[in-house]
Amino acid sequence: MPTVSLFIPCLVDLVLPRVGECTATLLSHLGCKPIYHSEQTCCGLMAFNGGHRDEARRLARRFIRVFEHDPLIVSPSGSCVHMVKQRYAELFADEPAWRARALALAPRVYELSQFVVDFLGVQDVGAADEVTVAYHESCSTLNALGVSAQPKALIRAVRGATLKEWQGADVCCGFGGTFANSFAPISSALVRQKVAFFLESGADLLVMCDPGCLLNIGGYLHRHHPDKQAMHLAQFLADRLPDGPARDAWS
Amino acid sequence: MELTTARFKETAQVELDNARTQKFLRLLPIRLSARRDAAYRSFADPEAAHAYGHAIRGEAIERLPELLKTFEANAEANGALVFWAADSDAANAYIVDLARRKGARYVTKGKSMITEELGLNDALAAAGITAWETDLGEFIAQLLEKPPFHIVGPAINIPVEQIRDIFMARGVLDTPTIDPVTLGRAARRFLRDKFRDLRMGVTGVNIAVADTGTVINVENEGNIRFNKSSPRTLVCVMSLEKVVPTMADALHMLRVLCRSATGQAAGAYITFDSGPRREGESDGPEELHIIVLDNGRSAMAADPHTREVLRCIRCGACLNACPVYGKVGGYPYGWAYSGPMGQVLTPALRGLADTGDLIRACTLCHRCKVICPAGIDHPATLLYYRHKDVQADPQMGGRGRSAMERLAYWGHAFVGSHPRLWRLFARIVRRVANRHAHDGTISRITRRTEGWFSSRDLPLLPQDTFHDRWRQGAAARKPRKEVSS
Repeated sequence: MPTVSLFIPCLVDLVLPRVGECTATLLSHLGCKPIYHSEQTCCGLMAFNGGHRDEARRLARRFIRVFEHDPLIVSPSGSCVHMVKQRYAELFADEPAWRARALALAPRVYELSQFVVDFLGVQDVGAADEVTVAYHESCSTLNALGVSAQPKALIRAVRGATLKEWQGADVCCGFGGTFANSFAPISSALVRQKVAFFLESGADLLVMCDPGCLLNIGGYLHRHHPDKQAMHLAQFLADRLPDGPARDAWS
Repeated sequence: MELTTARFKETAQVELDNARTQKFLRLLPIRLSARRDAAYRSFADPEAAHAYGHAIRGEAIERLPELLKTFEANAEANGALVFWAADSDAANAYIVDLARRKGARYVTKGKSMITEELGLNDALAAAGITAWETDLGEFIAQLLEKPPFHIVGPAINIPVEQIRDIFMARGVLDTPTIDPVTLGRAARRFLRDKFRDLRMGVTGVNIAVADTGTVINVENEGNIRFNKSSPRTLVCVMSLEKVVPTMADALHMLRVLCRSATGQAAGAYITFDSGPRREGESDGPEELHIIVLDNGRSAMAADPHTREVLRCIRCGACLNACPVYGKVGGYPYGWAYSGPMGQVLTPALRGLADTGDLIRACTLCHRCKVICPAGIDHPATLLYYRHKDVQADPQMGGRGRSAMERLAYWGHAFVGSHPRLWRLFARIVRRVANRHAHDGTISRITRRTEGWFSSRDLPLLPQDTFHDRWRQGAAARKPRKEVSS
């Protein structure tokens, strides 16, 4: 029963806590013991992407101090995992001691689906539902982490679920963090296009591994297509476990 | 060429509102990307071929000074004249002076982004010398006085009716038609005339080979071959990073260049020039001038981050892969280079101060990095530029960010360094945001966030964060249900 340290992105903490709960539920269900360091705050992704590296370093040092003794760290966010795994080394290019600590930490950090499939070796989590699903290939997850087969394997293994092959699956949804706000017309055109592809796919549900994309696509669907739903993979799986969504995540 | 990058957002809006641009962009980049992917699959080992290209370009930029010296020595041994141009003015002055000395009233040109960078056509015009673009797309763009929409297909977005009208107005076409073959034939007839008794031709360079002193051009129309073989004097302009060590390297780069640019295994015409016409040869120029342009690239090569950008081989694959380019096309980038390659090149050459929002017009999707045959990490480079901009780096012309933004990020890091403050801050954010909620939905907050809310809602922020739920759950061992929608 591996102990797994939950790395909860700030977006999940504040806006989508259910995604964090479902991550814990799923990991417990698969025989892991999720733990949560309550002193965690932010990995520094937003500051780094904004070019504010001093601030990003401050947050990254804190992240390293909080997590570096954990053997396994799992997060329901491809972009945050990418930050910690691949950007920290560059962030600390001029600080060898911190760089070494960042590099030592990196291999123990997993995106959720990556952890379940690659580390635990599980594809069938025991979930079941008659549903047609389209999987959105979040850019950080697909292009930066190279994670794509894992979430799709998890969805395919849900009894009764059909995973759609669809055009536009790997097209960017236009989130890009502050880009969504500061380049709103372009970002909006991209999310509109993404949703048009999704509607064309005929799937009931759009599932993804990144809370940023979820906020973007979910927010667009809520405004324009309230009958359609986007959902995080963690929630998709946890809600369809035999014990149902009410399973205690913390036992 | 005038730099209009500072107006990125305005030009982008014009293109977003242009139904024709949108219709076109829905088709072409996707089609070109698909062709590129199919062409790559024709490699026995696509990944190895891709990596090999990265290795060649990586070696080229690491050995740049030495390779350029070797190239110069070998090109001169072949009889070419090599001129090192420090900047656009030096290159333009050399070409204008040469044209005057050769008594050229006009010069013909092959499509080259580097002469767009130089603004060569304007410099020639100012000296009373006409420059005729002979690539069909570039010819159309020139007649319409439009900047290139795409580095590989500069006029690829222009409707055929507009081409008919400008051809009629300029005497290229006798009878109006929108038949593409007739239009192409008319342009060919018009331009072919320019190649007769040609004094001087100007082309760019795709690859320069250090070992042999050879300049290589790739094309599909044959106009570059005419440009290189017809005139008495040929000028080939290359940016200094175009050099590769050996002919074997060049041949591999041709394989990835043609596949990445147009999805072809090889362009229709690939021209290798090692010096001017020699005794006993039937054609070729009497003089071959090779201009090696710096224009800020030495400074780029001095910084290991910006040096990486010099890997670029101008294939345009990143444009076709880019979601932002795919919505706004090439005009907003405001200079010779567009898409991700323009975003990493233009700020380095023209400075951050004059290139506005270019470095932030990116979702960091990483598709450009994945597809790049030269091994450029565009997102990492853009993040580096953003950092330099925040620092107000004088070398890169960083402007620094507003006091408001700096304070916000400083506050973010400060609060994020104190978990209890972080929790308190989360409660404040929730209270402020939820004050704007109606029926469980937030549809606007402040003017500063109106971009987000222009097309998207936010859910009501739940009454407890994950942190709260974990603590409550740990205490009560009891599941909780979502409060909000």
